[in-house]
Amino acid sequence: MTWPLTAGCFPGYGTDVHIHVASCYSLRYGVAPPAALAERAASLGMQTLALTDRDGLYGAVRHVRSCADAGIGAVVGADLRVASTGEERIVVLAEGRTGWRSLCRLVTAAHAAGERGKPLVTRQMVGAHAEGLVVLLGPASDVGRAITGRRPDVAAARLDAWRATAETVIEIVDHHDRGDGPRAARMLALAREAGVPAVLGNAVRYLEPSDHPVAQVLDVTRRLVPLDRRHLDDRTGHAYLKSVPEMRRVAEWGCGADEADALLAATRRLSERCVLDPGRDLGMDDVHLPFAGADPYARLVARCSDGLARRGLEGSRKAAARLGDELGVIARKGLASYFLTVSDAAALIRSRGIRCAIRGSGAGSLVNHLLGIGDLDPLRHDLVMERFLADSRDGLPDIDLDVESARRLEAYEALFDRFGAESTACVSMMETYRARSALRDVGNAIGLPPLEIDAIAKAFPQIRAGQIRAALDDLPELRQSGLASGRLEVLFRIAERLDGLPRHIAMHPCGVLLSNPTLRDRTPVEQAAVGFPMSQFDKDDVEAMGLLKLDVIGVRMQSAMAHAVAEVARLTGQAIALEDVPRDDPATYALVRTSRTLGCFQIESPGQRELIGRLQPRDLEDLVLDISLFRPGPVNSDMVTPFLEARAGTREPSYPHPDLEPVLRESLGVIVFHEQVLRVLDVMTGCGLSRAEAARRSLNHERGQAVVGAWFRKMALARGYDEASVERVWRMLAAFGAFGFCKAHAASFALPTYQSAWLKRHHTAAFYAGVLTHDPGLYPKRVILDDARHFGVPILPLDVNRSSAGWHAEPVSEGGPAGIRVALSEVKGISDGEVTKIVTARPYASLGDFWRRARVSRPTTERLVLAGGFDAVHDVPRRDLLCRVGALERVSARPAHVMEGQLPLADADGTPSVLVEEIPAGELPPMTPAEVVEAELDILGMDVSRHVITFYDGLLAGLGVVRAADLPGRPAGSEVLVAGVKVATQTPAVRSGQRVIFATLDDATGPVDLTFFESVQDRCAATVFGCWLLVARGRVRRAGARAVSIIADGCWDLNALHEEWRRGGPDAARAAMAAPSPPARPVGRRIVQPTGFAMSPYSDIGHAGPAIKRPPPARLWHSSQGSSGP
Amino acid sequence: MTRVFGDPVDVWVSDGRPVRFVWRGRLYTVRRVLEHWVTTRDWWREKQPDGEATGEREFWRVEATPDREIGVYELRHDVAADSWLLSRVWD
Repeated sequence: MTWPLTAGCFPGYGTDVHIHVASCYSLRYGVAPPAALAERAASLGMQTLALTDRDGLYGAVRHVRSCADAGIGAVVGADLRVASTGEERIVVLAEGRTGWRSLCRLVTAAHAAGERGKPLVTRQMVGAHAEGLVVLLGPASDVGRAITGRRPDVAAARLDAWRATAETVIEIVDHHDRGDGPRAARMLALAREAGVPAVLGNAVRYLEPSDHPVAQVLDVTRRLVPLDRRHLDDRTGHAYLKSVPEMRRVAEWGCGADEADALLAATRRLSERCVLDPGRDLGMDDVHLPFAGADPYARLVARCSDGLARRGLEGSRKAAARLGDELGVIARKGLASYFLTVSDAAALIRSRGIRCAIRGSGAGSLVNHLLGIGDLDPLRHDLVMERFLADSRDGLPDIDLDVESARRLEAYEALFDRFGAESTACVSMMETYRARSALRDVGNAIGLPPLEIDAIAKAFPQIRAGQIRAALDDLPELRQSGLASGRLEVLFRIAERLDGLPRHIAMHPCGVLLSNPTLRDRTPVEQAAVGFPMSQFDKDDVEAMGLLKLDVIGVRMQSAMAHAVAEVARLTGQAIALEDVPRDDPATYALVRTSRTLGCFQIESPGQRELIGRLQPRDLEDLVLDISLFRPGPVNSDMVTPFLEARAGTREPSYPHPDLEPVLRESLGVIVFHEQVLRVLDVMTGCGLSRAEAARRSLNHERGQAVVGAWFRKMALARGYDEASVERVWRMLAAFGAFGFCKAHAASFALPTYQSAWLKRHHTAAFYAGVLTHDPGLYPKRVILDDARHFGVPILPLDVNRSSAGWHAEPVSEGGPAGIRVALSEVKGISDGEVTKIVTARPYASLGDFWRRARVSRPTTERLVLAGGFDAVHDVPRRDLLCRVGALERVSARPAHVMEGQLPLADADGTPSVLVEEIPAGELPPMTPAEVVEAELDILGMDVSRHVITFYDGLLAGLGVVRAADLPGRPAGSEVLVAGVKVATQTPAVRSGQRVIFATLDDATGPVDLTFFESVQDRCAATVFGCWLLVARGRVRRAGARAVSIIADGCWDLNALHEEWRRGGPDAARAAMAAPSPPARPVGRRIVQPTGFAMSPYSDIGHAGPAIKRPPPARLWHSSQGSSGP
Repeated sequence: MTRVFGDPVDVWVSDGRPVRFVWRGRLYTVRRVLEHWVTTRDWWREKQPDGEATGEREFWRVEATPDREIGVYELRHDVAADSWLLSRVWD
């Protein structure tokens, strides 16, 4: 990195010149991250740096922390839009604690005054919060505009008005655009004449001159226009963080040498005055909990002893000792009111009848259990508290609550009610530029056609923007796209530079701040899209600010299970309390062991189905192990195979040292849980669990690992362990790193896993109704639907008289087995209001009746007709009914002509006597089965009446394709052809560091799991990601008793083969499959983790091509009319 | 009257500003800088923009004189190529 006019202090000039700086948290305006700005300022010898982002304080906390790291003073302000006819802006800087409070409140007020996302202040608002604020009036202010317009009289009047409002300073900015220099001189003259201090600013937007193209792209992106000089704010490339000599030269050229010195000195004085102290001024040195009343600790102790009695742990010495330990930490850290608050919050959510479970390390705390926050007994499951609560952990402990996703906002409302709107806010998060969004915005800026932009963006997987050009070379699906031809070089180069820039503020999916009425003095608040007040700080910021964030996580599976339980109650009157269901039901574990676990929590992915096939869980502890094994930690450190072998009895469990046997016995000698890392460290070093937890947290970065490694070796050797054992254990710990799961978390996940499997086994139809309504899983709903068919649950079609908002279970005949009824909400484009109207006004005797009373839009009615919603009402083909919708609309459009005060004529049953055009039935051809399925896929997103693949049965039989149901009978290693609808692709991190593509096809008899290694991706990747219907060739691999997967070495677009087959028969199809393929190349470099294990840079990212949760438009999968089946 | 030229000139620079230049064999001394401004290139229109599309153009409108007669001259500096042109003359 080089920059002109280098670092160093410049005594005499003053060293603090940047009082007007936008970081990338000025959305679509600033370019540089706060940390980069602070580092650069420090290396330029500056002692302070301001951050004055546009429209908010989104970057303020990061700025303060970065400045502290860089050893310079932080000044914070905001660049705010002022209500006016044009675009006028002022900068306000905060001085001291009062200033910070005023700034937070002014920014909050600005957001409340403007429309959402367009905050606005008036001079009166600034006046109302003027205490501790300094207003900078630069070229963009009304004063600056008047000067530019050569109206010094107007400028002077406006300046007077500001001076009557708040402390005011004139800011001189000169970016060397035409007219900037003379304007600077005239602004200075105005200030001198009025006796107002003048300071020098540079309205910084980026670090270096060469960053200006990024700022220019942001200028036009913000305005939604293509790149052109007249749309640019930055026309000179001078809005960078200039050094002090550069700034001095700017001032000298514009205002003369003497004035330049005076400006720099004034700037320095202002800047030093406004440096904020993170502790004293921002309150970062303390926690700001809700007021919990007098002596919270005594009340906590009392509630814990009540809890001991309620949980039946009164006599337990173990419980008493553990409680004593936990309360000791809580007392030392002053966290009693924190626990009381969280316990209130959980109780409050449950009191609204919302399912609520604890997740994460908090489940390891006995206090949480006794207060009723968590349901798992940590002593019974052998969970440690230190992972959650230890003297060595800084800040507030993290308690996460899982609630039903569909009722998450209801839970929020309860919390806002209870703790007060002034003391509560949601946490925000920044959505940042990634490859696809950057390509879209830069593509628009440089004026590419929208269709081309869309195609380019979708060709990329969901990688970081900074990986764009590397991916073009690395990924086979992109290599063959021809995008890297050079024509688009500018697009790619600039798009890469948007990498990671914030582009949109959003509500964090789960964080809620619970505090006291001083909250609005500590954080600016704006309204989130769903209406809740939202802090401008993200989860890291609020932690730094000492604010209590409770994570209330919406879990779709909790909603799905609540729906299933309600369906059981509705159908049978049986009230199920899932928490009370015995956790040892053999039938449930028998189902899990078959790997037929689609729809179940945590264990439905291809990798998990394979793992449970091999692990064969028998009880809840096994599920806890299973969930924890399927993580990068155990996978990286090669724990899975030794564990499975030891479990299968083909190998003796081996322990790295006999002393570790008690710690590792539950996992047969391998490390699976964070808790085991703690205990291993404790056993070998005698450091205690609290210190061990601190050591564990250091394992996830290289530096920490080196320090902990040296410490561990020394301590363990000193305790008499031999060198070989110490090395062996350390290798294990280092490989596991900080990646694994804590057992408390796995245990709190295992419970819903078991509960969902129990529902699937015992209340199958209700289970599917829940899963289809709340869509918790990774597969498209059509896969769940097909799974339901395999479990013998009939699929009942859409019916305007029977379908409800969500899916429901419905007996097919009186007392017979239950089927599931397609939900109205599945209909594309239907609104919640329409669903309600349809359900309220039924039953309907006819389409006309429906049209009149349900009053839904024509497109929705047409979709209902096409998807078969009226098949049970009319014995008329759907196409004829569709024509009637048009006729009905033409008639109902007429009453508009009826004179006011006159009733339209109607006959007895309400049918308007105006005659609807007669549409004779049977003139239009009935829909073919293929057209019916096409309509279902288009409107409902799933094939309800029959499976899509059945239309290709002829071809598949001709090619000898093996069906999923028959695969277990095939010998391992034999070559097979398989086919189906693509339902999932994943590229998880695997031990080899390859990018392996796992794809799942659904062929109407079950899922087929395919594995594509890098060696075949040059010929397969583009097809796998680009096509919806696939044929694949590969070898059978056995995974457990019944589970089978395919190691694929070829794959083809089923429709393309079908086309060949129709043209030239089976031989033509085979010839198409024999076409030569490009040579193989590895897929990119490996990223080597600090733990020493390799990873592909493309693991665990969203795939290239369109999303697969909904099928593509019909013509893409089914182009030919002649192919409709029998 | 304004005349437009595009003649290359040799320019002496001191403290970032032009102080003398040679045009058509005559030496001009800069008396006063009247205006100075900068524009970036329209990098998005360029067919083959080089690596980093920076390289601004700097304009100096100066009062300068070869002898006793004072004229106004506009000098253009291409930063990337470090080349100077005399773009306009008022006399």
